[in-house]
Amino acid sequence: MKHSYRIAINTTAAALFAVLLLTPGRGQAPTAQEKAKIRARNIAQITELASRFITIYDRQGKMVKTVGPKGLYQQPVFSPDAKRIAVVETDLHPESTDQFAQTADIFVYDVDTGAHTRITTSGNREQAIAPVWSPDGTQLAYLALRGGSQGLYRKPSNGQGSEELLYKLPGAGYILSDWSLDGKFLNFSSTQLNESVLYALPLDGERKPVEVTKSASQIQAARLSPDSRLLAYRSDESGKFEVYVRSFDLAGGTGGGKWKISDGGLGMVAWRRDGQELYYFAPDRGIMAVSVSTSPAFEFGKPKLLFKAPDSFPVAGTPGGLASISRDGQRFALVVPPSPSLREITVFDRQGKTVRKVGEPGLYDMPALSPDGTKLAVVRSDQVTNNVDIWSFDMKTGKSTAVTNDEAQDITPIWSPDGKQILYVSIPPRNATYWSIYRKAADGSGSAEQLFRFTPGASLQLTDVSADGKYLGFSSGGALFVVPLTGTDPLARKAIEYLRDEYNEFLGRFSPDSRFMAYLSDESERNQVWVRPFDSASGTPSPEGKWRVSKDGGDSMIAWRADGKEMYYLHNDVDTGDTMVMAADIAMAPSFQAGTPKLLFRLPNSPQGNPGQWKNVTKDGQRFVFTVPVTQAVH
Amino acid sequence: MTVRSQVAIALVMILFSGTAGAHHNMSALFDFNNRVTITGTLTKFDWRNPHIQLIVDVNKDGQMETWTLEGPPPIFFKERDISKSDFENAFGKTVTAEASRARDGSRAGLLRTMTLPGGKLVSACPQNC
Repeated sequence: MKHSYRIAINTTAAALFAVLLLTPGRGQAPTAQEKAKIRARNIAQITELASRFITIYDRQGKMVKTVGPKGLYQQPVFSPDAKRIAVVETDLHPESTDQFAQTADIFVYDVDTGAHTRITTSGNREQAIAPVWSPDGTQLAYLALRGGSQGLYRKPSNGQGSEELLYKLPGAGYILSDWSLDGKFLNFSSTQLNESVLYALPLDGERKPVEVTKSASQIQAARLSPDSRLLAYRSDESGKFEVYVRSFDLAGGTGGGKWKISDGGLGMVAWRRDGQELYYFAPDRGIMAVSVSTSPAFEFGKPKLLFKAPDSFPVAGTPGGLASISRDGQRFALVVPPSPSLREITVFDRQGKTVRKVGEPGLYDMPALSPDGTKLAVVRSDQVTNNVDIWSFDMKTGKSTAVTNDEAQDITPIWSPDGKQILYVSIPPRNATYWSIYRKAADGSGSAEQLFRFTPGASLQLTDVSADGKYLGFSSGGALFVVPLTGTDPLARKAIEYLRDEYNEFLGRFSPDSRFMAYLSDESERNQVWVRPFDSASGTPSPEGKWRVSKDGGDSMIAWRADGKEMYYLHNDVDTGDTMVMAADIAMAPSFQAGTPKLLFRLPNSPQGNPGQWKNVTKDGQRFVFTVPVTQAVH
Repeated sequence: MTVRSQVAIALVMILFSGTAGAHHNMSALFDFNNRVTITGTLTKFDWRNPHIQLIVDVNKDGQMETWTLEGPPPIFFKERDISKSDFENAFGKTVTAEASRARDGSRAGLLRTMTLPGGKLVSACPQNC
């Protein structure tokens, strides 16, 4: 998460865009009216799921008040006198005809009254982020994307006048973190290839940035002490994030001492105005205070816990970007994400009747049934530990077993054909350069075996393993790939491009006899289910043709019945927003044929838990397993 | 839901949406702070996921240099009313491109902007600003 302050914005955008791209359809390209309806519904859904209050706490963690209405907020920053809060608010522009319209702008809220003032007005798809206050509170500096370039800007904090470009940044990946208390310069940093550079931009004279320090580790959230002699920041130089303090001299660099003041520090770095206390956020959600003295030499005490942030407050990424501490150390402003709704593993019959519920509700994603239908693999997100791991459930008893239990994010479980192992994608916790596919015994025993490692920096979605066990299938970047499981060296295995076009193709699923591949594609302007031959000798489509299975749109969850006579997929109803579980009769000999799809049953609203990955139909096509929000009912 | 899980799920949603996101680590291959501007003839392009590729022949002091520029996926342009035909119409004509240079010093870059023969400006921002 290098460009950390972008995350929340991008996450919102990604969620929106992803939902938008999982749009329903009726065979032809969606009309403008349909697009608008879908977009409005999706924005409403995102707003409901992601909106949060700006909440003020005291030093004991008692909630003092909320400020303003709920919104898609991030990066709150107290003014020097703590009477106002600058905050970045994302606007998804539900009224826009641009499907991807989005802006982020800075607003200032009055803490007492909740009245707000707009500071920036970004053009479509532009943003203004990372606000910092001038020491006297009359101005705000921020980083903005304007006309295709990023720059550092400032504007009066009463919103009057026009913004002033302070410095046009030469590239991308910068973040603004501080305005020195003597008012003389701004601190900003860039991170590329895990190399961080911290700069100071003098505000007087020639505005030429001075390189303060460079590090092979990440330097983030750098804050100067009130006397500008010390710099506190977050870094992962020890292999985990900690808060450090080092001496700082703009003329002479950062020679002198360096001290680690935390035992795990995730950011939210702030100095008290008198320089006698320093704050940071701990991995257990503790908001910590450290007594310090800055003169004549830097000395610091043992960190003490002030209070713990709510469980839904993040501990990954850059949580400091969701909080601010007043300069007297008495008030803490947090934008706390809402708690997620839990889901129940629910088994339906072909008529949509609930057959049973399995296990306790949880944050489950991507259910995958074992070949014999007796077990289910899911991705489970743990709210407390934040681990994202693979778990398996016994479908009869509901007993659950952790298949993986590590810091990596383990996603997209797929069962081996014999049902003894689970294959999955593992994303390393830090510096996630390589995404790999592993397999592990389904009971969690033994160690994981790496099967394949993909291109550096490239993401991938494991979607299937062929019934003969010879190929893995995955999607990446809108293209479909297969990997022959030959040899023993996972690093020597190469992916073969199965399909790569100008439109998006994803969720490839091998037919039971491995002679065909079903997949989703938006080549006809909306997502549909297609089938092509699969040549197991070469791992490529054989040239005999391709067939469309869905008629009115196919949006997620492709499954073949084991006898190759029926296929299932999900289709989103544009009018109601329901998810329609569809089935189509098919034949695979002498060539592929598909009948008219029919509706089996409906689920209200969009299913949660990444339905694009679901492999959740029993081999006889009689049972369907969904992760259903606990309040949701089928109809 | 924590940011971690939100990010994870957002990541997954990106994947599962089937959109062509960043396919490999751009920061590893290209230096965002080292830009080059070239003017030459658009001689080839590959309009496919996960990234389009443009080949531009540049006459530099009488010597021909072939530059390979990588850009966002086709859907990125489609969302911005820039079509494949805009590039097809520029085929064999003079274009000007700004790109972040490849770290290995080769004549390759990550497309930032391209000015097509009719003056239409194609921007890869915010993917590469």
